Amino acid sequence: MTSAEALRRDRTQRRAVTAPRVLAAEWTKAAGVTSTAWTVAGTVGAAGSLAFVLGSFAGPGSAVSGTSLATSGYPLAQLGALVLGVLIGSADSATGTCLTTYAAVPRRLPVLGAQVVVTGALAALTGLAAFAVSVAATAGTAGTGRAAGAPWALSDPQDLRAAAGYVLFLTGAAVCGVLLGALLRRPLAALTTAVALFVLADQVLAANPGRVTGTVRALLPGGGTRLFADDAQLAALAAGGGPDLGARGGGLVLGAWCLALLLLAGHRLVRRDVA
Amino acid sequence: MSATAELPARPAARSGPSFARVVRAEWTKLLGLRSTHVVAAVTVAVTGLLTHLSASASSGDPGFVATRNLGDALPLAFLGPLVLGVLVGTGEFSTGTFRSTFAAVPRRVPVLLAQAVVTAAVVLVVGVLSVGAAVLGILPAAASRGTTPDLGNAGVPQLLLGTVGFLVGAGLLGLAAGALLRRAVPALVAAVVVLLVAPVVLAFAAEAGTDPLAEYDPEHPPPATVLVNTVETFTPVGAGSALTNPGGGGLDGAPDLGAGGSALVLAGWVVVPLTAAAIRLRRRDLG
Repeated sequence: MTSAEALRRDRTQRRAVTAPRVLAAEWTKAAGVTSTAWTVAGTVGAAGSLAFVLGSFAGPGSAVSGTSLATSGYPLAQLGALVLGVLIGSADSATGTCLTTYAAVPRRLPVLGAQVVVTGALAALTGLAAFAVSVAATAGTAGTGRAAGAPWALSDPQDLRAAAGYVLFLTGAAVCGVLLGALLRRPLAALTTAVALFVLADQVLAANPGRVTGTVRALLPGGGTRLFADDAQLAALAAGGGPDLGARGGGLVLGAWCLALLLLAGHRLVRRDVA
Repeated sequence: MSATAELPARPAARSGPSFARVVRAEWTKLLGLRSTHVVAAVTVAVTGLLTHLSASASSGDPGFVATRNLGDALPLAFLGPLVLGVLVGTGEFSTGTFRSTFAAVPRRVPVLLAQAVVTAAVVLVVGVLSVGAAVLGILPAAASRGTTPDLGNAGVPQLLLGTVGFLVGAGLLGLAAGALLRRAVPALVAAVVVLLVAPVVLAFAAEAGTDPLAEYDPEHPPPATVLVNTVETFTPVGAGSALTNPGGGGLDGAPDLGAGGSALVLAGWVVVPLTAAAIRLRRRDLG
């Protein structure tokens, strides 16, 4: 054995568990199950199809802008992002892999961090693809003799903000999903909670408009939809009775939810039994 | 000796798996799980609490009528029965119990029917309790205005009965999705798309299809509105809201199905996937 080989072996043995390696392991786990590929493909396809169908409704003098048409696939896209996150976050506990995982990474927290990074990256790419498909699907209908607005254009700063917001919102939703999955450890329980927080509570509160319900509604993670809302939608949300958060505020609300869930999930992971 | 002589005689005395016994077995399986009790308790408690908050928030308004807030939290309540149904439908397959279950009941379909019976029974109880919790929830707000809510008032009995019916429908829809797809997450996603995403999408379609500046004539709504309203009438949520408000007269431009027709639409949303699940159960491999 040469000294160089000994040095290399020594180095690999000493630094067995590094962050990049945990990340690579989590990436292999996430990319290795077919459900991830199906969820990503299904999300992009569902969001694009929905935008296309809704775009075909828009006629001359319609109330919606080209920007809001391009983002109109979000109800299905957000569901896809939540499913993606929940499946990645709960897979370890649901299958029993957690015993192996945490034997390999006894500090535990790097695994959660890696899962968040992998899910966030996957969701960002999914959101980008879903937005591109939506823009292409609505390009034929938007801007053809419509009073309310031109089709989505890269040169318009508001449209660019909507695109970035759409990707950011889906990333945030998926991160909430992965943290709920890690916190609750059961896919069905985590998905039910995510749906209640993102979709159901928002609908119930929207059906009973008022100052209190408006405020609660703005502070739910669904408040992050302001990230990609156009000016007309932002004005409508602000008129609903709650505080006027604006796009940035909506993003901060979603970020605060991610942070709170990260603290809860991290606490349970570090302090409690893993299985 | 007497014990060994009696034992083989007992199965002969009782003939095979009768439907009543299959129902009893499913009943034991459902009530033996902690998740059933948790889902039921959370559904009832959340319904009562949210109705109370909503009624208290609006009790200061002039012309406050407590019974108007009865239905506020009920749109939220159906998630509980839905999850319960998905758990019943997928439980066999996620735990592997299906091996013993279908060895005991080789005809298979009676198991699905028995699951439908026990799910409907449990959700019926949960629904009645949730409605009761909603009624309890409006009492403090009504008392603060010195009134007693009149539950015999026009539309209130229909609202309460229709709500229970919609919750049972949601539970059976969850069961059908679970039994058809056999995996919890896809089943819940399918049910959520039908029950929660569809209304949002239809609302956006209605907004996109109408000219905000044009004068709206309820007798002659624009074609896009007619299309959206017709689709909404035949969705489970549309049927559910018609069921709770039978005198509503239907949406503009859409056929008015009435309470009976809406119940049939809701039943169709249960029966069609349940039949597909029965065919899959009967014709295909189990796992």
